[in-house]
Amino acid sequence: MNTLFTLVFLACAFLLLCTSPDTFLAALLEGAGKGATVCLSLVATYSVWLGLMRVWEDSGLARGISKLLKPLSKRLFKTEDEEALQAISMNLSVNLLGISGAATPYGIQAANLLDKTENAEYSSAMLFVLNATSIQLIPTAIIGVRVALHSANPTDVIVPTFLATLLSTVLGVCLTKAFIKPVRALAPTPLLRKAREAGTR
Amino acid sequence: MTRIFALTIPLIFLASFLFALFRKVKIYDSFTEGVKGAIPLIVSIFPYIAAVTMLCKLLEISGLEKWLTERIAPFFEFTGIPTEIASLVMMKPLSGSGSIAVLTQILERYGVDSYAARCACVAYGTSDTVFYIGAVYFAGLKRKKMPAALAISIFSYLAAVIFSCFLCRIL
Repeated sequence: MNTLFTLVFLACAFLLLCTSPDTFLAALLEGAGKGATVCLSLVATYSVWLGLMRVWEDSGLARGISKLLKPLSKRLFKTEDEEALQAISMNLSVNLLGISGAATPYGIQAANLLDKTENAEYSSAMLFVLNATSIQLIPTAIIGVRVALHSANPTDVIVPTFLATLLSTVLGVCLTKAFIKPVRALAPTPLLRKAREAGTR
Repeated sequence: MTRIFALTIPLIFLASFLFALFRKVKIYDSFTEGVKGAIPLIVSIFPYIAAVTMLCKLLEISGLEKWLTERIAPFFEFTGIPTEIASLVMMKPLSGSGSIAVLTQILERYGVDSYAARCACVAYGTSDTVFYIGAVYFAGLKRKKMPAALAISIFSYLAAVIFSCFLCRIL
């Protein structure tokens, strides 16, 4: 992102310097103003859904959902680590609601917990693919933007989004299963690997 | 069909609040506590959104965007993706907040309910920010299979974008 930003910015600045230098600052200010407007509409969206998420947590609904998702995530991730499974379930259910910003803390937690388990190579890849192709029941952020821009039918993107994201998730999971195979037996721990290397030397 | 889906959001809220009431949760306190979390979240993403919206404006008025879109148009036409959303398709894997900015720009330029705008909305929803997730979730963790997982994600993303533009045409 750093390289891209710098390259594009410099290219634009150079072009404008040659064509119309007086529009440069005006464009930056207008862009920043647009950024503030976008954030304002996102504050509205996040307020609504984070409020609901908190009610879910306090009423025990969140725990129920993660219990419901547990058999599925156990099979997908091939891990028995309770703590990691809990974090994964929360991460997946927030993703289902389409607030990927709120899913990030749970995702980081899950990645770090999975790193310590025996099947880490496979399960981290699965976590990555599932998050990257995030399946969404309700694309909340997009509906928020559409409402803010006075769409006649802000929710009419729900069905196609669900179908398209279902495709990307299923495709991603299948490819991961095919190309990054889970290890059945216990993978050698770093200590064991070191001992083995010492043995072959 | 769409009518039924429009009912889901109010139903989710109704069911959740009734359930919380049943479990004797102080709903007002709980809800406001959650809303509180929205501000830090926005504060953490605002710099990135603002930087990208500024860059978008520069791209637009310098004419570079038009030049770039014309270069990649053949590929997009071949796959059935409208060229209007090209910038979004390229932005999405890199930055979530940045692509929200690009999405808003597309919606404003072509009209919220136009074909291109609906494609943009659906394409936006098909995946998350692949590179960002790779960088943030797995910061500090060294995994051999990450490049493979990255390739799988990008491939699934492109397939889903093509599929979503097709869906927008028929639904």
